[in-house]
Amino acid sequence: MKEADLDYEIEGQQFTAIGKRGIRRTDAFEKASGTAIYNADIKLPGMLYARALASPHPHARIIGMDTSKAESYPGVRAVLRCDDPEIKGKIVPGSYGAPWYVLPDYAAWEGEPVGVVVAGDTKQICDEALKLIHVDWEVFPFVIDEEDAVRRDDVKLVGEGQLDKERFEAANALNPYANVFSGVFRIAKGEHRYEKGDIEKGFKEADRILEFNGRRRWHTWAQPELPSAITRWNGGYPELWIKHQHVFEHKQAMSFWFDMPISRITTHAPYQGGMFGGWNWMNWSTVIHYITALLSRRLGGRPVKLLFNRRDDFYGGSMDIAVHTFKVGVKNDGTITAVAIKSIFSNGPKAPEPNMGIGHFLENTRIPNLLKENISGIVNKGPVNAVRCEQLTNTYCINTVFGHVANEMGLDATEVALKNDGYEGHDTDFLTNFKRRFGLPQRDSLKECIEAGKKAIGWDKKWHAPGAVKLPNGKMHGMAMVWTHEWNSKRGAGSAGLLIEPDGSVSLLGQRADVGVVAETAYCQIAADELGMRFEDVSLRQQKDTGFAMMTPDGSCNLCTNGYVVRRAARKAKQALLDFAANGYEEEGGPSSPPAFPGYKPGDLDIKESVIFVKKDPSIRKTVRDVVREVQCVQWWKHPQIYTYAWKQAGAWTDATGAAAKELVDYSQRPHLCRQAHFMEVEVDTETGKIDIVKVVNVNDVGKAINPDAVEGQQYGGAYMAASRAQTEELVWDLNTGVMLNGNLLDYKIATILDCGPIEPIIVETAMGYGPYGANGIGEDVADHMASLLGPAVHNALGVAIDDLPITPDKILKALGKI
Amino acid sequence: MSAPSNYVCPYCAQKFEDNQALKSHVVTQHGKEPLPRPYGLIGLTVNGQHHEVKVEANTTLYELIHDQIGLTGAKMFCDRGACGSCTVIMDGRPILSCMTLAIECDGKSVETVEGIAQANHPLVETYVKHHAMQCGYCTPGFVVTAKALLDKNPDPSEDEIREALAGNLCRCGTYPQHPKAIAEAAMILQGGASHERG
Repeated sequence: MKEADLDYEIEGQQFTAIGKRGIRRTDAFEKASGTAIYNADIKLPGMLYARALASPHPHARIIGMDTSKAESYPGVRAVLRCDDPEIKGKIVPGSYGAPWYVLPDYAAWEGEPVGVVVAGDTKQICDEALKLIHVDWEVFPFVIDEEDAVRRDDVKLVGEGQLDKERFEAANALNPYANVFSGVFRIAKGEHRYEKGDIEKGFKEADRILEFNGRRRWHTWAQPELPSAITRWNGGYPELWIKHQHVFEHKQAMSFWFDMPISRITTHAPYQGGMFGGWNWMNWSTVIHYITALLSRRLGGRPVKLLFNRRDDFYGGSMDIAVHTFKVGVKNDGTITAVAIKSIFSNGPKAPEPNMGIGHFLENTRIPNLLKENISGIVNKGPVNAVRCEQLTNTYCINTVFGHVANEMGLDATEVALKNDGYEGHDTDFLTNFKRRFGLPQRDSLKECIEAGKKAIGWDKKWHAPGAVKLPNGKMHGMAMVWTHEWNSKRGAGSAGLLIEPDGSVSLLGQRADVGVVAETAYCQIAADELGMRFEDVSLRQQKDTGFAMMTPDGSCNLCTNGYVVRRAARKAKQALLDFAANGYEEEGGPSSPPAFPGYKPGDLDIKESVIFVKKDPSIRKTVRDVVREVQCVQWWKHPQIYTYAWKQAGAWTDATGAAAKELVDYSQRPHLCRQAHFMEVEVDTETGKIDIVKVVNVNDVGKAINPDAVEGQQYGGAYMAASRAQTEELVWDLNTGVMLNGNLLDYKIATILDCGPIEPIIVETAMGYGPYGANGIGEDVADHMASLLGPAVHNALGVAIDDLPITPDKILKALGKI
Repeated sequence: MSAPSNYVCPYCAQKFEDNQALKSHVVTQHGKEPLPRPYGLIGLTVNGQHHEVKVEANTTLYELIHDQIGLTGAKMFCDRGACGSCTVIMDGRPILSCMTLAIECDGKSVETVEGIAQANHPLVETYVKHHAMQCGYCTPGFVVTAKALLDKNPDPSEDEIREALAGNLCRCGTYPQHPKAIAEAAMILQGGASHERG
């Protein structure tokens, strides 16, 4: 049987754990009681600490280094220099297989780990020793502003142009697990252009042309747990404790770096204190285990823990940091005829997507004429990454354009949305036929989402023309909404084993970084319902190295990959269990055990609540525990343990019949059927410039909510992150020195509980998603969309647009002409 | 000139002929332990258990609890008193253990999230029930802050809860769930409906 044959949806399937509220999370007690262990908490016998030198210059090369004082500092155990013969100039595949120096001698931004790593008895000793190192720097010109970067040609980074192309091509040639991301090194200045239709014709057809500028300033992930890497070199069997979303990738990397079998490498995946993509996109986020492995090997196998401090973790930005120029053609009724966007990105966009910024127009609207021109400005500030997530540019652009059209034309934003959406507010004949053909429900997700959101926020009563409503408290009132498709991410691969233990409990075997999205609980829910077991009888061993790598928590797609994996494994296991219950086990001349249900066929039996019973006479029943235990005891096995394995490569979208995957040649052409709509209400104080987000409504068609409490967590959690991004988050550099000024959580403000009003999460379930049970991803949508919804809401409140995120009080007062 | 004595009282400089005489003098005249404690040795109670530990002058209470004693519930998120993740209760008040020098905690009594959980405080289960965590890294700090709030104010309003938690950062944005969890714990403590493991 092909694995994909297990993906069918079962008509009328009844769920006990799936979709249930109040399921006891598998991770929650540990986290609430303080017993959950994170990499930052781990202290092993004999463990040493390590710290890397941070470049004090925004652009410089090491031309000489005296480390003698550091080497003789009491408590220092090893000093690893970039000119060490074993690593000098060495480039290895790092995170996502992307190449990086083991330890560079060149810094492209202030704070870059460079030159030397010191290992010692304590972190303090390492920090003190680093201060004793004398470095001779060759200092180069630098640039901090992306627009400056495009204008100037005196700042040339190593990593730009042909030299680097050769380097990473060479690294990729050696790289056994190169993937689409492996071309990412230091991106060169470059330009991308994407055009659909005839942009000039579109502008001519318009009644009005709207032109405006926008900007998203530098922001980052600010993960709660600081990065760290621990390696213990147990002879030929290294052991890693990993703070990273990609656990299995470290095995591949270690195997490649040290030319050893993967089977000798052990990985541990403790709980992960946030991450939001960001850190694990940094090429060296994996390579730091090369350094700790090397140091541990040289230090007699003492474990080495490389630590980063809070400031170190601020050197990395989000891929949407850019300056934009917009030109929009619109008819008086709100029909958009053309959108042209020119963007200058800061160190991005990283992924080679020429339509970055216009993507959601293509996917959601029927605007016929689109133009996107992207220019990469290379600045000395560190790499930019997918920080929950790479769609931020797309969400910023669609929110800003639709906000301007609604507010400048004085039109209801929900009507502008429906006027321009790809399905005219209801599904087209094409979609209706598509759904019918592939056995999907005939539901109109967009309409359901918008109606639900309008009702929850009181849109019809509260919406008004821009700048029209002053509240009794003296503040200006504003409303905004946006809609989009389901979160994309049909990517992903994973595998897991499922073992029925001798006491009838179930172990799901698959390693995975738990970043807190409750997916681990959801997998147990799926396994329980598919097997007919009680939820509490199923456990996922995600922190243990079981040899199986589940899909990583990336791209809002882990559940839609691992959900299939677990379902496949559980369906196979149920069949195996019923076969065993009906037929027993017999081996010629060897062990045997009689059937637990003699005279019955597997098809006569079923399982519910961890009990196997005869379907026609449920009084004939035995617990799963009794069935597997009766015939198995210590050192005297009468039958093999029931064990199954399954895997899934996502991307091949499947459906109720499994047919679509075979018929759709290009799976990316599968239309978006599940929609999302977001609403925001604000009050703006025109005297102080303070914004209060007084109400947020997030409507997400998640297809099927496996764990509704977890879905809501991504909705309100995303809304808070968005409120933070929109109002306060900005990293600032000194233009004269190129030094970051606010790399700490006192000066880089993230939202507190007081910084967002009530959030109403609404779940819509149309079962039209691409995942199991018709589910689709939710992890990134709200955090992405809500951030740039603040601009349209403030525009609606004041009648003045402020498209420069974060929208701080000074920008409000400036826009109002008060400062 | 008399011969120098090896037995000089550290409090009044009086000299004695032997160690026993010096000890008796210190106890009877000054009401002190006969020998001063070595520098850096402190005694403090953590979750009801007494600890005698040697600390450096710059050791923080967080480092003492997390690294030396090994109670890893208190977390390091911001490193400078901005996030509340390292919160512990000292003599009834929630304090930031990363901003407190251990050497100043001699004789103090400290309660950590582990102690709160060990005492079966209802907050732990209400946090579980209401999903008041995602990645969970900041959660212990919230639980400790909430416990300190309920100790002082057994029936807080939602605004009082939000105000009390305003110094705790959660990057995952679990904030809306905390007032629910804390309000339910308050109700349980006051003899309201008992919570169920959901």
